[in-house]
Amino acid sequence: MRIVVCLKQIAHTYARSGRDPDSNYLEPEDKVLRINPCDEFALALALEAKEYLPGGAEVSLLTLGPILAQIELVRCLALGADWLFQVDAQGYLDPWQKSSLLARSVQKIEADLVLCGRESLDSANGQTGALLAHHLNMPFVSGVRKIDFGTEGPFAVVRRAAGRGTRQVLRCPLPAVFSVEAGNTIPAPPSYDQKRNLGSPPIQKLVLDAAGVAPRYVQEAQYPPRPRVKPLTPPDNCLDSYGRVSELLSGSSMEKKGRMLTGDPETQVEGIITFLQESGVLEPEKEGELDG
Amino acid sequence: MLTSFDLLLIGLSLVIFGAGLLKLKAAWSQGRPARRPGDLKGLVLYLLGQREILENRVAGLAHLALFWGVCFYLALAILAQFGPVIPPGLARLVSLISDLLGVALLAGLIFFALRRLGDREAAAPRGVLLPVAVLLIVVLSGFWAEGARLNLAPEGASWHAPAGWFFALLSPASPLFMQIMVRIHFFAVLLLLALVPFTFLRHLVTSSLNVYYRRQEPAGVIEPVDWQQPVIGADQRRDFNWKQLLDAEACVSCGRCEQSCPANISGKPLSPRKVMRALHENLRGGGGMEQSVSQDELWACTTCMACLEKCPVFVEPLDKLVDMRRYQVLDRGRLPSEAREMMRDLELYADTYGRGPAHREDWALGLEVPHISNLPGEAEVLLWVGCSGAFHPQYQQVARSMAHILNAAGVNFGILGKEEACCGDAARRLGDEERFETLAKKNIAALDKYGVKTLVCLCPHCYNTLRNEYPALGGHYQILSAVEFALRLIAKKRIYPKYPLAGRLTIHDPCYLGRGNGIYQPLRDLVGSLPGASLVELEQSRENGFCCGGGGGRMWLHEKLGENINNLRAAQVAHSGVQTVATACPFCLTMLEDGINSLETERPAKVRDLIEIVAMSLGRAH
Ligand code: SF4
Ligand code: SF4
Repeated sequence: MRIVVCLKQIAHTYARSGRDPDSNYLEPEDKVLRINPCDEFALALALEAKEYLPGGAEVSLLTLGPILAQIELVRCLALGADWLFQVDAQGYLDPWQKSSLLARSVQKIEADLVLCGRESLDSANGQTGALLAHHLNMPFVSGVRKIDFGTEGPFAVVRRAAGRGTRQVLRCPLPAVFSVEAGNTIPAPPSYDQKRNLGSPPIQKLVLDAAGVAPRYVQEAQYPPRPRVKPLTPPDNCLDSYGRVSELLSGSSMEKKGRMLTGDPETQVEGIITFLQESGVLEPEKEGELDG
Repeated sequence: MLTSFDLLLIGLSLVIFGAGLLKLKAAWSQGRPARRPGDLKGLVLYLLGQREILENRVAGLAHLALFWGVCFYLALAILAQFGPVIPPGLARLVSLISDLLGVALLAGLIFFALRRLGDREAAAPRGVLLPVAVLLIVVLSGFWAEGARLNLAPEGASWHAPAGWFFALLSPASPLFMQIMVRIHFFAVLLLLALVPFTFLRHLVTSSLNVYYRRQEPAGVIEPVDWQQPVIGADQRRDFNWKQLLDAEACVSCGRCEQSCPANISGKPLSPRKVMRALHENLRGGGGMEQSVSQDELWACTTCMACLEKCPVFVEPLDKLVDMRRYQVLDRGRLPSEAREMMRDLELYADTYGRGPAHREDWALGLEVPHISNLPGEAEVLLWVGCSGAFHPQYQQVARSMAHILNAAGVNFGILGKEEACCGDAARRLGDEERFETLAKKNIAALDKYGVKTLVCLCPHCYNTLRNEYPALGGHYQILSAVEFALRLIAKKRIYPKYPLAGRLTIHDPCYLGRGNGIYQPLRDLVGSLPGASLVELEQSRENGFCCGGGGGRMWLHEKLGENINNLRAAQVAHSGVQTVATACPFCLTMLEDGINSLETERPAKVRDLIEIVAMSLGRAH
């Protein structure tokens, strides 16, 4: 059996600790390069199949675009995947284009089963799997938690999360596309031996022509998250008053961003005005208007 | 006079003795290489005083009687071969001493024989009864021979042979009887010699060697992994180093480690004695440690070092457990599922809370805590905050208190801020040496970048790791614990604690300050330097301190078996009736507080870090 696992590399922004509005309050250490968490669970299911299927399985990793998170990709290989394919692509692609590129790669690899994460941490579209199934003309099951394989005939019995705690067991013919839900237990890390035996990771480039596929939907705008007020838990009663106040005050710099204004009152007022202008509350003053 | 048959027998028993020793040595030499300088002075002092053995009073005294008795007779027998001429006065004195020592020896032997016969535990030492019986024969036949000689001698018994007199009453005045006893005595001694390597008596050699090669560095240090080895960590006997195998040969199964092991006391299957026994059996039989030590046992260890502290012959069950964990994690890729999230956080975010470096300075928001690069002039110290100080809501207060103390004292200090990563203690003790090395190298690079010389650590785990384990990776700094530094500030009159403490207070010794690095007194001195302090010691304190249950990565594992360790400790605290428990470790703080809350007593004792207490006494707490 050939299993393809689609891995999305993301630069996950977990904080905005910067002070500069031009860079969207982002600092280099505010993001980590990683593989989409759901995709890691998909990989874990594939590796489980590889281990337990009587005939074994060949697990190929498929990633789209430039290599961002090399260390993490190597980690996935060390976990026991056999191949790593990189689909050559540049720039922004909409889900339609992405899935079409992935579908053509899957056809090249001739996979019996395609696994991907349910949705990505950075864009949360949740479409890639479904569109991939559409392009490949294969059945699609979402929210998969566990896969068992039938002994007679090519089909899989999957357990999926059907929302609000309901669990559903489906029987689905293969080849198929499954999107995998994140589980509760993080998959085991690779052993040192697996990493040591890996040597230099073999990355195979798949060059496909993306020009033929037009995007189906175009992003009109994207807004950075608004600084949200953190829901405050009531302070711990056991603390003394100072402790309670400081517990209320302690929050991360992502939620509360402040700039301390220093200097004499005049410069402080100027600071406030500049701040209000920068954030668009006040119109920027026009040259000479005040004098006139 | 010795006949040639006797000489042959002596030769034979010496050959058996020597061959047995070589076989023993071959057993522990299967291990990997390790560097352990010997400590002859330590060994001599140890043998003379036997202080460690005497910790257990009765058995210790019995052991002392056996040791000195045998040594004395051995020396006497060797001296007698040269036929020295000694004045009668001295001869009588020697006779009296030897008589009394013989009685003590007999009493000690009977004690050990009864003790062995009395307990039928599976883990009790093996191969004890045979040598004890032979030694009994040696002593009794000696006394009887003496008794018969006194009966035959013209002057009869006298004051300098009280035991001889007693045995004279029980023996006939027959030269033949005396001859028989002398022969029995002689054969039994030779038998005993030949038995040494093959019975419990091997500890005469192996335990002495183990004392000779004992650890010279602090107990908290764990040896790095040799990445060149085919197997990482240890499972088979060849995966351990020779000192670890010698440990297994030296263990006398006395069970002191087990009696003070918090995991064992709280009803978990782990017993350090059993681990050593398993390794010993492994040395003879083969098979992996995985088969004899279950996962539940392996992951129950809190790395509290009580077993190291208590072992009378300096056996270290802890480093075997760590090597076995390494084998599970690095070789088999089997990290317990509860710990995986934390380890993944360490991998992605370099902290145990998974909050990320971007948030690492948040605790200092609004405080005067500059980054080390923003200091006017040279930094006096760098404050090493640690993951708990940076992220744990309660320990953040301690970090703020420390910043307050440092500012009040006018110390020119800074922090590494976003460049600080987890010290790697939890990763290392959970067996993920690779993660530890990555984190440690990152930290060392950052510290070297700013030319940091002196660090003050809030957390004892950071303290131990930075102080004792970073040098092996090239990070050499002067490391102080926050407690020591605060004490120094008070002694130098740079801060003045003025507000008195209310109520009685006790100290819970963190394992990694106390047993790990011998820091017991500074905690007491610090409390003593605060006005109004009234210190009550817990029943188990200092070297005997009882672990909170949070070390060795246990903070992240579930406690599924037996009682919770922190509840046991909390009960001890409640029993002491204090209002405050002072400690100096983020894990102790959380574990004890949880434990005390779960007791649901009417007026629970408050758990505070010593640093917080000092800051309160200065007039402001965070
Ligand atoms: S270190 Fe502590 S918990 Fe671990 S075996 Fe020794 S005494 Fe038990
Ligand atoms: S390890 Fe030490 S304390 Fe434990 S049983 Fe062996 S000799 Fe006794």
